Amino acid sequence: MIWHIAKRELYDNLNSLRFALTMVLLLGLMLTNAVVHLQEHPARIQKYLSSVVDARNVLESRADSLYDLARKGPGKLYKKPSPLHFCAEGGDTFLSSAVEAHYYFWDTDDLGSFWRMQYPAATPNLTNIRPDVTKVDWAFVIGYALSLIALLFTFDSVSGERERGTLRLILANSVPRHTVLIGKFLGALISVNISFALAVLINLLVISTSSAVHLGADAWGRIGIVFFIALLYTCLFLALGLLVSARVQRSAVSLVILLLTWVTFVVFMPSILASIASGFSSPMSADELQVRRYQINDKLWEEYHQKTGVSKLQDMQVGSRLVTQDKVEQDRLIEKRLMQQVEQVQRARSITQISPAAIVQHLLESFAGTGFERHLQFLENAQHYGRQYSEFIVETDRTDLQSLHLIGVREGMSQKPVSPEAIPRFEDTLSLSKDFNTAATELLLLILFVVVLLSSAYLAFVRVEV
Amino acid sequence: MLKALIGRELLNNLMTFRFAAVLLITLLLVVVNTAVLIQDYEQRLESYNNAVKMHHQELRNSKTYSTAYLFVDRAPNPLSIFNVGLDKRLGNLTGIYHGFVPTLWDAQMHGTDNPFIAFFSSIDIVFVFEVILSLMGLIFAYDAIAGERERGTLRLVLAQPIRRGQILLAKYISAMACLLVPLILSLLFALLLLTRSIPLSTDDFLRIAGIVFTSFAYLSLFYLIGLLISVATRRTGTALMLAMFVWGFLILVYPNLIRATVNPSADVQERTKTAKNQIQQIVDEYERERKKFLENKSVIGDASQFIEAVSLYTDAHVDSVTLSPYLENMSLISEIPPDFEKYVPIAKKYYSFVEPLATNAADKAWLVQKQALDDIFVRQAVMDRALLKLSPVGIYDAATQAWAGTDLLGLRDFFDATRRYRRVVIDYLYATDAFSSREWFVADKGPVDWSTLPRFTFERRDVGTNAKRALPDLFLLLICNLVLFMGIVLIFIRSEV
Repeated sequence: MIWHIAKRELYDNLNSLRFALTMVLLLGLMLTNAVVHLQEHPARIQKYLSSVVDARNVLESRADSLYDLARKGPGKLYKKPSPLHFCAEGGDTFLSSAVEAHYYFWDTDDLGSFWRMQYPAATPNLTNIRPDVTKVDWAFVIGYALSLIALLFTFDSVSGERERGTLRLILANSVPRHTVLIGKFLGALISVNISFALAVLINLLVISTSSAVHLGADAWGRIGIVFFIALLYTCLFLALGLLVSARVQRSAVSLVILLLTWVTFVVFMPSILASIASGFSSPMSADELQVRRYQINDKLWEEYHQKTGVSKLQDMQVGSRLVTQDKVEQDRLIEKRLMQQVEQVQRARSITQISPAAIVQHLLESFAGTGFERHLQFLENAQHYGRQYSEFIVETDRTDLQSLHLIGVREGMSQKPVSPEAIPRFEDTLSLSKDFNTAATELLLLILFVVVLLSSAYLAFVRVEV
Repeated sequence: MLKALIGRELLNNLMTFRFAAVLLITLLLVVVNTAVLIQDYEQRLESYNNAVKMHHQELRNSKTYSTAYLFVDRAPNPLSIFNVGLDKRLGNLTGIYHGFVPTLWDAQMHGTDNPFIAFFSSIDIVFVFEVILSLMGLIFAYDAIAGERERGTLRLVLAQPIRRGQILLAKYISAMACLLVPLILSLLFALLLLTRSIPLSTDDFLRIAGIVFTSFAYLSLFYLIGLLISVATRRTGTALMLAMFVWGFLILVYPNLIRATVNPSADVQERTKTAKNQIQQIVDEYERERKKFLENKSVIGDASQFIEAVSLYTDAHVDSVTLSPYLENMSLISEIPPDFEKYVPIAKKYYSFVEPLATNAADKAWLVQKQALDDIFVRQAVMDRALLKLSPVGIYDAATQAWAGTDLLGLRDFFDATRRYRRVVIDYLYATDAFSSREWFVADKGPVDWSTLPRFTFERRDVGTNAKRALPDLFLLLICNLVLFMGIVLIFIRSEV
């Protein structure tokens, strides 16, 4: 019986104006997305690859001296662009695409500051005066268009039948009410998803026919998950539509309620909540960081001046301690500031989870390998590599028996040139299991939303009076 | 009769659920947003004040003219709360010196404490209106005619001795009266919050009035779009679907779609290259003259000894993106060598020759650069704006930006002012004979006295200029209104009941 009702709904929908309009809208959006991606992605990959090669060349040119390697650090580390950039652009323009190791902080005749990782702000494109708009990515199509369409398919499904009087006819049959509801739900779900699936297929067809963009097995798996999330999200809005439609007497009223809810939760809520939440805490400011850096530096130099001047060897030992201690403490300070900044954003993000649109945005970003969570992964990779690099320096120094093993002083370290191939390479990786961990809570939250809305739609419909 | 019709319609509209819901949502969104935006504005203002203080301090600490860095900062525009435009996005800090002409594209951004926060897009009041007002207009209009036709009341009304145009007019007037309530009420609340924390001038209030009037025209346009759909369709269901998809297309899809598909053409790169070559020639010419002067043994003596004595640092390069030439001649003397006095007259001669040369070269390059920047950056942006204006949202956005002064022209006003200030600084340097003074390159006779240097001030253009910039778009909106209304009347008159 469920299938009977679902089929009736489906035929109704497929012949309607809204289905035709949905089809046109979704196809247009997805095609644009594919074409733009094909235009932009090869250039993005090219830029990444050439920057990586340049950075590596700079690093290898320092291999003549271990001291230079130890002092100047690994240079620039680049974030690998995700092949699924078209799924969610993820505010990539606001996140920097690299971290840098700087070393020129202070310099005396025989000592120099060691490298430390800097986490630069994204370089805002200050020369761009073109109007600012959202990227047309899958996240936009799903988050905005698909949710609105889901509401437009269900706002009159119960109240419309009541207005036309056909609800009485159906309920006069010996069909249980939940069967009617589920039938309606399935009918709407299938008809919305026919057009969405078609649009997705055409999008992927266009993208995968091009030789410039290569999608691996991992990427296809991710696309599958993204599609599943889109399905869940559609269910959520269909359930919301059914709930309001069952509670309200007239479909015009139902639509007004739904539209205003949609506008509030989807369009406004994420940004407004994030702005409010980010006002609650303030991370260390750039000026404060500067002050504290000088404090550390002054303290260490004072110690240095107290202990030097006895013998050459002791001078070197004290100098080595100064440089290494400086690096450790400065690194700690910078990382602390980074942590505070990240916490502020994460708090803001967790508050926006009240809005399902924000949840889906986050989820799509996680699985597309873009956005904030991905950026954190990249930072973690870079920090890991930084430690590996430092260890490599110490290990190399240790293998040279003539070295004094005083890291931080030119004469105290190995004088032998290092083989350029031996320097560890930075490999920025995307791991699906890690993404799954960060996304699990949000996925559960989304499912919870769907279940709650579906059951309240059921309750509302069971108690409805005809 | 018209009055009676208006009265009936007004009552019909006011007593509906949709009116209450729309009123509530608009109030809520605008008030919450205004509070958030005011906080944001105050933060930016504080950061601006700090930067001004810091730059002033830096200038006073600079020991010689040649190593002085004069920076000017751009204050946030209080009306960016209404439409943020380019106010937050573009640089708000630029250096001023004679060998460089400041442009919008060279400006930098003074720091924010958490760069990641830019991740969350901010919403201004005009954006709320863009979404809500258009939706409101359509929701009120879609069943205005189609609904009456379905219920059969249209026949009754038309049976009366009333002209059809009058019925439409009555519907239009009453609906607009209703729709104005949320608009005006929410703006009043916003202004209440605003005036409590931000001082606004009379001109600002006039600008806000301009924004309100533009919002009104925008709202009316969407009501008329809804009415057109309502007149043209037989059933409310169809009218509603069409209205919603038109809304989704015009507000959400079209602006993003058009921006994604239109991309800068290749000839921009070509243009950049030729302009860069031209400017590079001017810079090379300057470098040649400078080197020739240094090689003149009768004046300089041994050039390398002179360069070492005053520890001369020179730079002459052209930025490959913004095409700005940077011409610098600095003396970075930390300790004065014993026989330094010998070089003082030579250095005076060198600087009084080279600095006017750099100033002139920068001025000459600016003439080329100005044209090139227009071709490379401005033309593309203007074309984008023109394409966006095919949707009413684009027109509304452009008009309100012009009123608020956060559009491109408003920002360029600031950079025009910085260029005027550069002239002031150069005149000041000439007037005080700074180029040929000892303080230009060495600080042994006490630091430079900056107290007589005129301070940089920037006043936003008066409201008349804003109006002049906004009126074309406003007229466009009004014309669209008029054309739509006439179209609706024509269709309605010819339609059968």
